[in-house]
Amino acid sequence: MGADTDVGSGSTRTGEFREEASRPEGDRDLPLSERITRNPGPAATWAAVVAVLIAAEFGAIVSGLLSVPPWGWVGGLVPGVVEPVAALLATVAERGAELPTITSRSVIDNTGYQTPSGWEGTTLGLSPAVAWALRVAVIYTYSFTWLLVGWWGYTLYRRHYRIPDWTPRDDVVNRFRRHSWGLFGLTIVFAFVVMALFAPVLGPTTVDQNIENPYENRIDYYNDETGQVESIFVGEANGDTQSRGQGDNNVGPLEYDQYDRFHPFGTLPDGKDLFTFMASGARVSLLVGLTSLGIAGGFAMVFAMLTAYYKGLVDLGVVIAGDSIQAMPQLLFIILASFVLSDTWIAEVYNGGLVLAILFGITGWPALWRAVRGPALQVSEREWIDAAKSYGQRPRVTMQKHMLPYVVGYFLIYASLSLGGVIIGIAGLSFLGLGIEAPVPEWGRAVSAGQPYVATQSWHISLIPGILVVIIVTGFNALGDGVRDAIDPESDIGDGGNENVAAGGGA
Amino acid sequence: MSGESSGGSETSPEMRNISDSNSTANDDVLLSVRDLKTHYEERSLFGGDPVRAVDGVSFDVRRGETLGLVGESGCGKTTLGRTLVRLEEATDGNIVIDGDDITTLSGDALQRWRRDAQIVFQDPESSLNDRLTVGEIIREPLNVHNWKTPAERRQRVRNLLERVGLREEHYYRYPHQFSGGQRQRVGIARALAVEPDFVVLDEPVSALDVSVQAQILNLLMDLQEELDLTYLFIAHDLSVVRHICDRVAVMYLGKIMEFGPTEQLFQKPENPYTRSLLSAVPTPDPTVERDRTTLRGTPPSPRDPPNGCVFSTRCPAKIRPDGFEELSEHDWDAIEVFREVLRERSRTDPSLSERARELLGLETRLPDVEEAAGELFASRSFPSDVQEPIQQSIEAANDGNEEHAREIITAALGSVCDREAPSLLATGRTDSGRSSRCHRHKEEYADPDASGSDSPQS
Ligand code: SF4
Repeated sequence: MGADTDVGSGSTRTGEFREEASRPEGDRDLPLSERITRNPGPAATWAAVVAVLIAAEFGAIVSGLLSVPPWGWVGGLVPGVVEPVAALLATVAERGAELPTITSRSVIDNTGYQTPSGWEGTTLGLSPAVAWALRVAVIYTYSFTWLLVGWWGYTLYRRHYRIPDWTPRDDVVNRFRRHSWGLFGLTIVFAFVVMALFAPVLGPTTVDQNIENPYENRIDYYNDETGQVESIFVGEANGDTQSRGQGDNNVGPLEYDQYDRFHPFGTLPDGKDLFTFMASGARVSLLVGLTSLGIAGGFAMVFAMLTAYYKGLVDLGVVIAGDSIQAMPQLLFIILASFVLSDTWIAEVYNGGLVLAILFGITGWPALWRAVRGPALQVSEREWIDAAKSYGQRPRVTMQKHMLPYVVGYFLIYASLSLGGVIIGIAGLSFLGLGIEAPVPEWGRAVSAGQPYVATQSWHISLIPGILVVIIVTGFNALGDGVRDAIDPESDIGDGGNENVAAGGGA
Repeated sequence: MSGESSGGSETSPEMRNISDSNSTANDDVLLSVRDLKTHYEERSLFGGDPVRAVDGVSFDVRRGETLGLVGESGCGKTTLGRTLVRLEEATDGNIVIDGDDITTLSGDALQRWRRDAQIVFQDPESSLNDRLTVGEIIREPLNVHNWKTPAERRQRVRNLLERVGLREEHYYRYPHQFSGGQRQRVGIARALAVEPDFVVLDEPVSALDVSVQAQILNLLMDLQEELDLTYLFIAHDLSVVRHICDRVAVMYLGKIMEFGPTEQLFQKPENPYTRSLLSAVPTPDPTVERDRTTLRGTPPSPRDPPNGCVFSTRCPAKIRPDGFEELSEHDWDAIEVFREVLRERSRTDPSLSERARELLGLETRLPDVEEAAGELFASRSFPSDVQEPIQQSIEAANDGNEEHAREIITAALGSVCDREAPSLLATGRTDSGRSSRCHRHKEEYADPDASGSDSPQS
């Protein structure tokens, strides 16, 4: 080995290079499960913490996972076989929702009324505002704990179970960790996701009771004149708590109405609770946004791989297809198409959400494809692609193994940059009275409803949703910036993406 | 291990002895390349002439030998190597091994060739996917060809790592963690994983530090001996070729100019191109007098190779037509440079904007023919049979018809080198296996100055 001076000098290339890890050599080549069995300590501790977290929310997790698919619709697809299963799952979802969880409404109840002797009905006699704030705090603490536990699990894996001491992804992760703007974005995005996930328990009241079926639900309140606890339809109560700008017709942010209901964001012009509306709207926005990105991203990535690998005519074909789609005004097309589809079965799934997602997806892929085409072409020129060809690797595997990993990062950047645009687009459509069917909450509809009152004391109706949209779009952009700097510290590719968002915003 | 056997004699030219290669002569041909052509069609939609990267090449590769392929960059040597491993599609000709024509293989037969023939790339930074561990990289060919069981594959990768001078533990490291030389070792291990017979080494050391080059070369030679490999060694560094190759093919503009056993070819190059190429290499011994023929100009575009000999635009030994013997060397050179200018002008497809500028009488970036002629011929006086065609040619060029200008001058002053492509002729002693592509080897054109006089240290 005397002459092999270049062996071992590799350590100078990265600071992370350590000599053989503490793990014994025998652990190598074992599957992960075996590696864990041999050193169960860290994994067991972690699993115990995760178990506690899951137990705290077991019912919600089960029902949450199971209630996402539209079971009624799925069951209708293949009556007979699927229907009973779908119905069963739907029931399980409902039962699950009844199991106690630390974040459930009944654990910290913020609905009640004030009698001369104090608050009745709320947990521990707390005021509804405090009770609600407490629940929100519990929910966010719980969620961010998950985030930390996830990170902890990753570090445990890295330290105790992963075989390589260092991987190129470690550098990416480390760079992201030091990127405060990106972390800020991640925090905002995560908070938004939590808002969407926990929408049913975050609001001071529920969509069903307050927004969709106000005349089927009653609330109790203390009538000062009669000195009695009386009951009233929510719909009637809403009629007295409208925010319409003049006189007494306003319930602003952080105010109680005359039925002792607390409204963190005030009420809508029809007297419904704005916060409940917003939380539920977050769910719709995120679901439609992610679905459409999934569709657009799927097309974009498949096309990027194919065009970069085969080039030539394939590339030309996709360029033409993409150009034709981009030549259409996106929102006009979506408006027309959703109108055309409005009477079909597909328009009923998620109250029109699926149609919107599909339309945003098929009109959105060319922009995403263009964004990742450059990096894909670049990686397709690398010699390891030739090497794979030379020993007979199949094209599909080559694309997946030797090209895709280099493009996924760029996809994430542009996806997070354009998700903001999609959210704005959906809101824009509901602002125009299109898209998601009323009365299902959607942010754009709140902006639109509040528009006549922007200059009055009921300014909150438009402004709060507007500001939230801005914050969330900024959050997604910051996250995209962070990911970009993490995967490619020297690059300067933000401009195209910002144009994207500007285009989405202009929509 | 590679290092042990190399023991300090890395650059000794005597490592491979010509007699070895002669003893294996005329038996055991591994593959025969016959009139192989690889042309690239223009990628754009506008057509244009194809690039004749490899343009009619024939040779045999003997089992167990190292055949060197040398030439300047752009001469087509890399394309030739890539065509052999089917990374490029041949336009014409065949590559025959055991009666199969590689150029037309498909399906399972092609997949078998993809196992029997491997390639080591020039740049180890680009040839290893740096998101995979070294183990995964070396293992991939084994997976592709379904080699034994996964456990055996892992073991084989470990053995290969040891074999190429790395350590077993490197299995789970990433290419980023290695130096260039180590990465090239990984590339070699990957190429050897599926036990090929034939390996194309595409400038395997030219991207590496000089200090590491010798180690890698020694490793390659050890592996060849041990595993009975046949190498096609592509290089532009002649000292490396002399060190490692049994026989050498010298390529210029898609054609093989000279072919022969390494030592003989280096000591007594026959072809004018080989001589110029070798004279550009610094001799280790400063006392040896050598004509340092520096080559004039750049190689012509492979889209539009010269009609006669491909080297005719730059050849220092180019044959003069009869009747011009009394012109001085410098005068003749000036004429050749002038022809080069014409050539340059006619081959550059002027862009649209350039045409517009020309029409508007604005300056273009192309060298102005008249100006060039003025400079070249300023202090010279030619006899009228030279002066006239030059004058006519300048006029034709001024009218924008460079093609015609070239025809005039070729008709008047061109020689057999401009008109006829020389064929590869056997040279040297009859059994030497040497051949060269030059009209000078014919009796009638033999150049008394050139033959043998500038062969180094013979
Ligand atoms: S044929 Fe003529 S131009 Fe070609 S190498 Fe021989 S002498 Fe030179």
